[in-house]
Amino acid sequence: MNVDDLLRDTLREQAAEQPPAGPGFADWVLAVRRRRRTRRLVTVVAAAVAVVAVAVGVPLLDSGKSDVRPSGVVGRDRTSAHPDQSPPRELIAAGSTALAAYYIPTTVKKSATEKVTERTYWLFDRKSGTYVKAPKWSFVAVAPGMKTAAVLERTLPASRIGLLDLATGEVKRWMPVGHKVGGLSFSADGRKLVATTYTYNPDANFQPADPNVGEPEKPSSRTGFYVFDVASGKSTWGGVAVGGQRADGLNTLINNRQDFAFTSDDRYVWAGVPSEEVNKLFYDFTGAEVPAPQNGDKYLVSYIDAGLSPDGKHVAGDFAGEAWTTSSYVIDSATGEKTEIHGQELLAWADDKSLVAWDIGKGDSGAGKSEFHARLVLVTIGSDKEVPLSGFLGGSTDVSAGRWKPVFAQR
Amino acid sequence: MDAEGLEGFRDFVDNRSSALLRTAVLLSGGDRYAGEDLLQNALAKAAGRWERIDEPEAYVRQILYRQQVSRWRLKWRRRELTVAEPPETRADTDASSAAELRVVMREALSRLTARQRTVLVLRYFEDLPEADVARLLGCSVGTVRSTTHRSLARLRVLAPELAALGPADAEFRSSRDHSPVEVRP
Repeated sequence: MNVDDLLRDTLREQAAEQPPAGPGFADWVLAVRRRRRTRRLVTVVAAAVAVVAVAVGVPLLDSGKSDVRPSGVVGRDRTSAHPDQSPPRELIAAGSTALAAYYIPTTVKKSATEKVTERTYWLFDRKSGTYVKAPKWSFVAVAPGMKTAAVLERTLPASRIGLLDLATGEVKRWMPVGHKVGGLSFSADGRKLVATTYTYNPDANFQPADPNVGEPEKPSSRTGFYVFDVASGKSTWGGVAVGGQRADGLNTLINNRQDFAFTSDDRYVWAGVPSEEVNKLFYDFTGAEVPAPQNGDKYLVSYIDAGLSPDGKHVAGDFAGEAWTTSSYVIDSATGEKTEIHGQELLAWADDKSLVAWDIGKGDSGAGKSEFHARLVLVTIGSDKEVPLSGFLGGSTDVSAGRWKPVFAQR
Repeated sequence: MDAEGLEGFRDFVDNRSSALLRTAVLLSGGDRYAGEDLLQNALAKAAGRWERIDEPEAYVRQILYRQQVSRWRLKWRRRELTVAEPPETRADTDASSAAELRVVMREALSRLTARQRTVLVLRYFEDLPEADVARLLGCSVGTVRSTTHRSLARLRVLAPELAALGPADAEFRSSRDHSPVEVRP
């Protein structure tokens, strides 16, 4: 065999592996074309702003609001659903968001009194169109655009942060840290990274050797956070106390893992606080507490991942369960008014009106049916329709085998 | 586009998009999503002048190839990599079986520039003679020949495992060879 033959065979094999183009490809192309024509009309006006927007991927124009275009990626707002797959093998996506990765948590016993929840990640690989296991990483945050991820190695907390090129699977740059890091989160524009620092593994759980003794006193080891400028690798660190009973009567004690994230305008960071009265606290980049910003951020719910809608007009809220067995609140950023939407837990905004959520199946809504038999669905404000995106989670409790946790990113 | 044109466009896409997508994915170095983008752009352009196109397939294919080349001209390398050294793990691999060699070849192809890959796809997948490739890409036959030559040499650098294989026909000829070329009737 010579190189000619090998080249021919390789190309033919690769071509033969391609699944056919999906149905409705023509309509998709026509829709893209319509949108581009509309956009062209406003291009001249937007040109100056677009220089910044193209680089960082900010949705700019109303005509393309479902078409966030991070760093050069051609917009695709097609829904990509695989209701027969759990965990998914192929891309799950809707509107501007995509399941960039998922992880499967497992509990590992370290000693009689300590258990650690470890994550095994599967990252979406554009080349093969599938999720590929990435066992090297203990924590992964995917940047908007799904080209880069920030990763931590197996031992937590970690003494360096990797910037992983998702196209090659190789770490482009390591950023060493003085304070060890246990959690990561990108800003909405992908230019900044907040890294939460801990002195002990934040995923460790402690149990008393004798169950009759009660909960052991073991406060979170969180020390503060770094804010990195991703391009230059420069960082600042701000220390934040773990909290406790305050003079004003509020309890700011936190969970073992209580990571920081950026506010919607990327000017501050915030972190949840389990106490219902407090719920969350905001900080400037030096670690000093600041009042809640006067936008939708003040309605953020610490354990609901979706956060603010792309246009900032709505905030994904808590479980509601009034109009339907499983539903959630969506909060109006301006008035605080709550409306109900289908979905057990709101995970990520697909556009200004739709979200990806966990929800139970139709047959599961009766009394005694499992609240854990959930799948990813697309739900829309003011609509009764739910579009299934993934197969159902396996297992009947939240710690059973067959459970996976989604990681969404702007695509 | 009128209703008749719209129906014709839909028919064409329904019947031909899977085949076109295969080529687009190869041009994109095996990246399915980049391939979809490429085809989407080509079809959107074709839709803009659908009623004036005589041979839709040839027209769309030409846009596909030229888009790739113009990306190269713009030095837009968002999915391409330039590596100084072949990856270390490859050197020790005993890639003796044909299947392993195809995997190695695939990886190396994805690391070529869009222009290099386009020329190889046209020559070795579409089986087009050099003159047709030159016409499609709007360049000279000499350019096609030298690009083919350089692309094959680059593959050998990226994948040392190919050393065991005999040279391709194009490698026997110098890139400066301007002997007559085959021309399709």
